[in-house]
Amino acid sequence: MKKAAFVLIGIMLMVEPAFADDLAEVDSFLKERLNRIMGLLQDKNLEKSTRNDKIVVIITEAFDFDTMAKLTLGKKYWPGLSTAEKARFTELFVGRLKASYLEKLNLYDDETIVYSKPEQVNNKVQMMTELVSKDNKITMRYKLYKPSKAGWKVYDVELEGVSLITTYRSQFNEVLQTGTMKDLFAKLERPEGK
Amino acid sequence: MVSCAGVQKQGLNGRFQGQSTFSDLTIQSQTEAIEMTFDAFEDEFASIPEKTVFDPLSGYNRRMTQFNDKLFDYVISPVSRGYHFIVPEGGRIGVRRFFKNLFYPLRFINNVLQVKYDKAAIETARFIINSTVGLLGFFDPAEEWLGLKAYPEDFGQTLGVYGVGPGFHIVLPFIGPSNLRDTIGLIPDTYSVPITYIPEMKISGTSDSDKTLIAVGVESYRRLNSASLSLEEYESLRRDALDLYTFLRDAYERNRAAQIKE
Repeated sequence: MKKAAFVLIGIMLMVEPAFADDLAEVDSFLKERLNRIMGLLQDKNLEKSTRNDKIVVIITEAFDFDTMAKLTLGKKYWPGLSTAEKARFTELFVGRLKASYLEKLNLYDDETIVYSKPEQVNNKVQMMTELVSKDNKITMRYKLYKPSKAGWKVYDVELEGVSLITTYRSQFNEVLQTGTMKDLFAKLERPEGK
Repeated sequence: MVSCAGVQKQGLNGRFQGQSTFSDLTIQSQTEAIEMTFDAFEDEFASIPEKTVFDPLSGYNRRMTQFNDKLFDYVISPVSRGYHFIVPEGGRIGVRRFFKNLFYPLRFINNVLQVKYDKAAIETARFIINSTVGLLGFFDPAEEWLGLKAYPEDFGQTLGVYGVGPGFHIVLPFIGPSNLRDTIGLIPDTYSVPITYIPEMKISGTSDSDKTLIAVGVESYRRLNSASLSLEEYESLRRDALDLYTFLRDAYERNRAAQIKE
C-alpha cells in the first residue's frame, strides 16, 4: 500500500511539470512557424510560387500528413486498404490538403495573428489562434500531438469551429458508403475548382 | 490505454513469449503502430460516420444548393465584381461596418437573452462610440482605439443556448444553408433590424409600396456589399468539397454548434 502511494505521488510529481513543458514546447513550436509563414505571406517581393513552395516546406515539417490521411478514412476504411491504395490515397489527399491550406492562407494575407495560450486536452495540446484584419476575424484552432521524442506535429486544424479532419472524414465516408475506393480516387483526382 | 490494447491483442493471439520469430515481431509492431495512432484519436473522431445530420429534405436541399451556387456564379459574383471594381475595399469595409453598427439591437437583445450582460454592455458602448466618433458607424474606433470587440449573436443561437436542437436541415433560397431552428430565428431577427422598419417611416412624397421597395433595395445592397468582401472565401470553400451539398450542410451545422457552445 505504502509503496503504491509513493509510486502515485511520484507519477503526479512527474506529470505536472511535464504538462507545463508540453505547453511551452507547443507554444514556441507553433508561434515560430506561423510567424515565419505570415512573414512570407506579407513579403510582397516574393514570387507567389516561390512563396508557396517555402510555405509548403514549413507546413510539411509541422503537419503530420500521413496520420491526417489515416484519420480521414478512420478505423472503418483505412485498415482494409492495400499498401498501394494507402500510398495513392495519402498522395491525393495530402496534395489537396496542401492546396486548400495554402489557398486559405493566401486569402488572409493582410491579417495579423493573435495567439491564445495552448491548452492540454488529454495527452494532446490545442492552441487557438485568431487571424485579425481590419474588420474581421477568423478563428483557427491548431491541434497537436507528440508522435515521437522528436517533437510536436499538427494533426488537425479547426477553421471557425469546423474541423478539417471531420469535414474530410464525413465527405469520404459518404462516397464510400455507396461507392468503392475507385470512386473516391476519381473524385480526388478531379482537377481543382470543379 | 494504448499499451493495454497492444498487450490484449498479444494475449489473444495466444503466443508464448520467445516463440515469435523476428519477422512476426516486425509485422506485429507495424500493425500495433497503426492501431496506436487510431486509438489515440478514437474518442475525437470515432463518432463522425455515425453522427449524420437529420435531413428529410435532402432532395429539395440539393436542388436549392445548386440554385444558390448558380446564382453565385451568374449573378452575385459578376455583380459584386463590378461593384468591387468601382468601390475600393476601404469603402466597402466602411459600408459593412455601417450596417453592422445598425444591427446593434439584434446583438444586444440576444446577448441579454443569453444572460451575457457584460457583452451586451460592451455592445452598447460600441454602438454609442461608433455612431458618434465613428461617424454613423463607418469607422470602428471602439475596437481600434479601445479594443472593444463585437459579439455577434442571433435568435437561432439564443434558442440553441436554451437547448433547442437544430431540427432538420434546410437550404434557403438566396440565404443558403440553415435549419429549422435558425429559420425560425430569422423571424425575430428581422424584427430586430432597423431596415425592416423603413416602410413605417415618414418619408414625404413616397408611397408605401415605394418604401417597401427601398427596404428591399437597402437589404439587397447590404448583402451585395458583404458578398463583395468574401467572394474568394466561398470559391475556396467550394473547392474543398467532394459533394458541395453535404459539405456545406455539415460545415454549417458544425459551425453553428461551435457558435452556440461559445
